[in-house]
Amino acid sequence: MSGADIVMRVEDVLVTYRRVGRTTEAVKGVSFELREGRCLGIVGESGSGKSSLARALLGLEPEAASGRVWFRGEDVLSMDRRARAAFRRSAQMVFQDPLGSLNPRMRVGDAIGEVLRVHGRAKGRREAAERAAEWLGTVGLGAEYAPRYPHELSGGQRQRVNLARSLCAGATFLIADEPVSALDVSVQALILNLMKRLQRERGITWILIGHDLAVMRAMADDLLVMRAGECVERGPAERVLFEPRHPYTRELLSAVPDVAGALRRRGGGGARQSGREQNT
Amino acid sequence: MSAKVNTMGAAGARPDAAFPSGAPRAGETVLSVEGLCVGYRGEGGSRVPVVEDVSFELRAGRMLALVGESGCGKSVTAAALGGLLPRGMSVDGGKIAAAPGILRAGRGLAYVFQDPGQCLDPVFRVGRQIVEAMPRADRRRSRERLAELLEQVGFHEPERVARSYPHQLSGGMQQRAMLAMALAGRPRILVADEPTTALDVTVQARLLRLLADLQRKENLAVLLITHNLGVVAEVADEVLVMYAGRAVERGPVSMLASPRHPYVEGLLRALPRLERGAGPLEGIPGQVPALGRRPAGCPFHPRCALARAECRERVPEWREAGDGRALACWVRGGGGR
Repeated sequence: MSGADIVMRVEDVLVTYRRVGRTTEAVKGVSFELREGRCLGIVGESGSGKSSLARALLGLEPEAASGRVWFRGEDVLSMDRRARAAFRRSAQMVFQDPLGSLNPRMRVGDAIGEVLRVHGRAKGRREAAERAAEWLGTVGLGAEYAPRYPHELSGGQRQRVNLARSLCAGATFLIADEPVSALDVSVQALILNLMKRLQRERGITWILIGHDLAVMRAMADDLLVMRAGECVERGPAERVLFEPRHPYTRELLSAVPDVAGALRRRGGGGARQSGREQNT
Repeated sequence: MSAKVNTMGAAGARPDAAFPSGAPRAGETVLSVEGLCVGYRGEGGSRVPVVEDVSFELRAGRMLALVGESGCGKSVTAAALGGLLPRGMSVDGGKIAAAPGILRAGRGLAYVFQDPGQCLDPVFRVGRQIVEAMPRADRRRSRERLAELLEQVGFHEPERVARSYPHQLSGGMQQRAMLAMALAGRPRILVADEPTTALDVTVQARLLRLLADLQRKENLAVLLITHNLGVVAEVADEVLVMYAGRAVERGPVSMLASPRHPYVEGLLRALPRLERGAGPLEGIPGQVPALGRRPAGCPFHPRCALARAECRERVPEWREAGDGRALACWVRGGGGR
């Protein structure tokens, strides 16, 4: 393995789901390298295989995945129990629906404290509570949120709790699957900024799974475009977004609704249909 | 604009006798909403307002976008138009006035939702469901009309689609089947509540083009409910932005290039865009207030950098600002900055 700063190297990963009498090739051979402290965006439409790929990378598709996934030099797909436990601490997943991944009957402070204790990051309840409060501060919430239940928080606040839970075990590598898709625009920006800050200040390496190219523009250093299980284009985000080479990337880019572009195209807006009489 | 405006629920207008004087002309008002208030009974019996004092007009052949973040009351406003308010909610004030015949259930006004499952019944074939939505006059030649409707929403094989069950169609196809079902009733007004939110961007772009096309060809008045300002800029003619149950700014779609209300400004700045640099985004600090916990005065003042004393005390007046624009803001309201 060349390059000590490579966090993840993926070679020809396939994910094939087999059911009785039917096989579905969700991912058909994807390869990439991810360097320390970078954010790789994986974009694609529904059914493109991006979430299957994400699960495979974390070793969550033991039956269906094949190929090679190296995480800091170790093969994720053939790890023993011990190595796997260490891997689980340093590589975590953040999901789209923050409510679905939090226990509704557990106060958020305890939810973070639980992770800390399970992974041996805090001894006893007291220390766990203290460290949980610190983590709430890190993700911009503050210790006063510790006694609240998930349903008492807004979507953005819950996503902050989730980020704290993922990071507090000592994770340095996060895969976030559509982490801001369910959030309002004004909140989405705040969460993306938080993710960017964590990347910068804590050296977190990210894989961001999503469908929104504008979000990718704000977050990703590198981009991988998927369609029907295949990687159609890969490269630095700037290059892929502004000099797309694959026709599908161009199609995706032209389909992104964009305020400034649309207003320019429509020339003052509203004029498109004004005045003209259309009778049935 | 139009003289023939009745109050809501005016009985007597026979479905097929809508617009006895012929179809409304493009730009003619088919529905006007004035000072709409919707609420429900909270704990202790007091009214909890959901929508407060919202006014707008829908015109034939035009698309008005009702924009806002979750909890701003946009879907409730849309539901109020067709009498589809959820249980427990009711109209507390204001007027919904329509051209005769418009507001009869299942006719005149049709809905399209984010989730096709809300409209399509999984146990019946798509074709049958669309035929059921047709007025009696059309049912006599239902086969031709069905093919016509399915072609209108962009299906190349109408017969195959008609024979399909909803689960045999993709999300985008289900959305179009639902649109065909909505059009089957020959509506004058189409209310589309987040119709493309669950769709992929390329499918979304196609559906939006289709919607704009239908609006023009069928001279439909469209009310588009969305949280996506990009979508608004692509297809809407007019925009009304809501925040915490109130209308904050209205204008032709071009107003998105120069918004006046600090909330609308903030919303546009928070929007991730391809064209911007890779630096940090600007969010709006704080969050949308929960129902029943809305602040006094301007609903946006706790998150507003420009808020002054009066913003905390009094609800801003809705003021016309020229060029079809209006806004409710003590700081930016009243014509200029």
